[in-house]
Amino acid sequence: MIHRVTAAVVWCCVLLTLTAMAGCSKKAVPGQAAYPSAATPAGPGAGGRYTPGGPIDEATWQKLGLRTEEERQRFLKEMDQFQNDDIYFEFDAYVLMDEAKAILDRKVDFLRRYPKVSVTIEGHCDERGTNDYNLALGERRANAAWQYLVNSGIEPSRLNMISYGEERPVALGHDEASWAKNRRAHFVVQF
Amino acid sequence: MGKGTDEAVRRAGAMRACWRLFVFFWGVTCLMAPSTAWGAERVYIDITQPGFVKLPIAVPDFKMQGEDAGAARQMAAVIRDDLDLSGYFKVLDPAGFLESPNQMGVLPSEIRFESWKAVGAEFLVRGQYEARGGGLSAEFRLFDVVSQKMVVGKAYDARVADARAVAHRIANEIIAALTGEAGIFDTRIAFVQAEGDAKEIYVMDLDGQNLTAITRDRSTALSPAWSPDGTQLAYVSYVEGQPKIFIANVLSGARRAVAGYSGINITPAWHPAGGRLAVTLSKDGNPDIFLVDSQGSVLKTLVSGWSIEVSPAWSPDGSKIAYVSNESGSPQIYVLNLAGGNKLRLTYEGKYNTSPAWSPKGDWIAFSSMTGGRHNIFIVRPDGSGLRALTHGEGDNESPTWSPDGRLVAFSSTREGASAIWAAVVNGEGIRRLTRLGGAQSQPSWSPRSNR
Repeated sequence: MIHRVTAAVVWCCVLLTLTAMAGCSKKAVPGQAAYPSAATPAGPGAGGRYTPGGPIDEATWQKLGLRTEEERQRFLKEMDQFQNDDIYFEFDAYVLMDEAKAILDRKVDFLRRYPKVSVTIEGHCDERGTNDYNLALGERRANAAWQYLVNSGIEPSRLNMISYGEERPVALGHDEASWAKNRRAHFVVQF
Repeated sequence: MGKGTDEAVRRAGAMRACWRLFVFFWGVTCLMAPSTAWGAERVYIDITQPGFVKLPIAVPDFKMQGEDAGAARQMAAVIRDDLDLSGYFKVLDPAGFLESPNQMGVLPSEIRFESWKAVGAEFLVRGQYEARGGGLSAEFRLFDVVSQKMVVGKAYDARVADARAVAHRIANEIIAALTGEAGIFDTRIAFVQAEGDAKEIYVMDLDGQNLTAITRDRSTALSPAWSPDGTQLAYVSYVEGQPKIFIANVLSGARRAVAGYSGINITPAWHPAGGRLAVTLSKDGNPDIFLVDSQGSVLKTLVSGWSIEVSPAWSPDGSKIAYVSNESGSPQIYVLNLAGGNKLRLTYEGKYNTSPAWSPKGDWIAFSSMTGGRHNIFIVRPDGSGLRALTHGEGDNESPTWSPDGRLVAFSSTREGASAIWAAVVNGEGIRRLTRLGGAQSQPSWSPRSNR
């Protein structure tokens, strides 16, 4: 009985948190300001979605199982690194290069350490191919990263994928330096 | 797009609203029926010949009666523009004409053929125009200057606001009389308009007029595809997160999600008989091509494999599809016979061949090929023979789409900076920029012939 009451209180907290977060103004990610947010885990109970740059409230910290300030600061730092480290691909390729695998290994560590965190893997391409083929290519890039994480023991239920093809470049130049930055898989956390 | 565009869109909306009435009241009368029949017997332009000399044609401004001289000039200008786009004609500059457009007659007996021969015209389009209280009566006659005979003539009653539409009809009649096949000047082109961070679907007339927004989501909309009856557009949008396929009714604007399976739902292509679409779905973990009904239910797997399969294009009889696969290691175009299941690799030149588009007569497949970092438009026979370039390295040229008569291919090109929609004559010379808007235009889709 007491257990049930506790559960109800926790749920209330979660709901309040969600309401509060929904009210938060969404911070613009450069170059993505006008877009609706990417694919979100739509399963039952999926909620408490982290808003990039937004604050994390106490209920969410509790859900993540992070209690001390030290743990929380470490998480924030690692989360930033997790989201900032893209993996890169050769032109018209979705084979993981060694450098990409090393980055993915670090992501596996992070995801093991924080089992409540889910990820959306975004597949991106440079502008040179055709839009339609690039949508498929971006899907394969996201899928290559997904496969690597799953093979490393991450539950598929924690991983979502979306392909943006060439529609969301991070670098806007028309040269190899920009293209190389755009041929990427990008990782966004949810919890 | 700025104020001009908004106004254009408003005008387009008003025009669309009156289309049905317009069609109802628009009576078409043949002038001198025997001449019309005579015109049909003789083909002036043999469209089956690969090369021909462009016919010099004169289109003086229409003779104006009643109000609104502007529309009389505009109608002739629209006809000149259409005839030029067709690639069949050398349209003569009116500045050099010896006759005053408002004084010369319109009847065969009133035409001074010698003065048209003198300016080099082999054909003459003579029209007149009368506007009274919002109503418009227009007629035209096409003359063969050399034989001094009338080829075809017709009269129209319409609304003054529809003067451009009447002019496009007249251009269609001229093409029909001289080639034996109707023109395409009342068709439209759907395309993707990029503005800032958003991509929306728009529709326009061939001359860029009557710009109409199909989506206004401030999201990313891609890959418009006309239904064979010209009433619907299938397209891809990120408006609900994942890329999903939607269908919009072009007249009412109503739209609905059709395919929203997990993963990507992209590259819709209507079956030539309508009702079904070939689409690319990655619901099984890999982009493959499926046949779905108009509600999005999967009817059949068309192409599947471990590689990327994308961008289906139907043959006009619906028996085959061309599509893109990277099963060889790079994207190449394949043709699959749906009945027998046998597959032909169509492209071997270059390492990046995408965006197949099957011509309406079935005789060509256009596609985009990247070599040396540049995309160009090529055409090839469905058996892999006859490869020919339509563009030659002027910027990037992508996403070909055929006019319903198979005479023109529209595509996106960056040859003058930001991507715009262009059209090239397939069987001859001529290239034309079709969009002059802010932002960037891409992924054109040419509507079927109008049956309105």
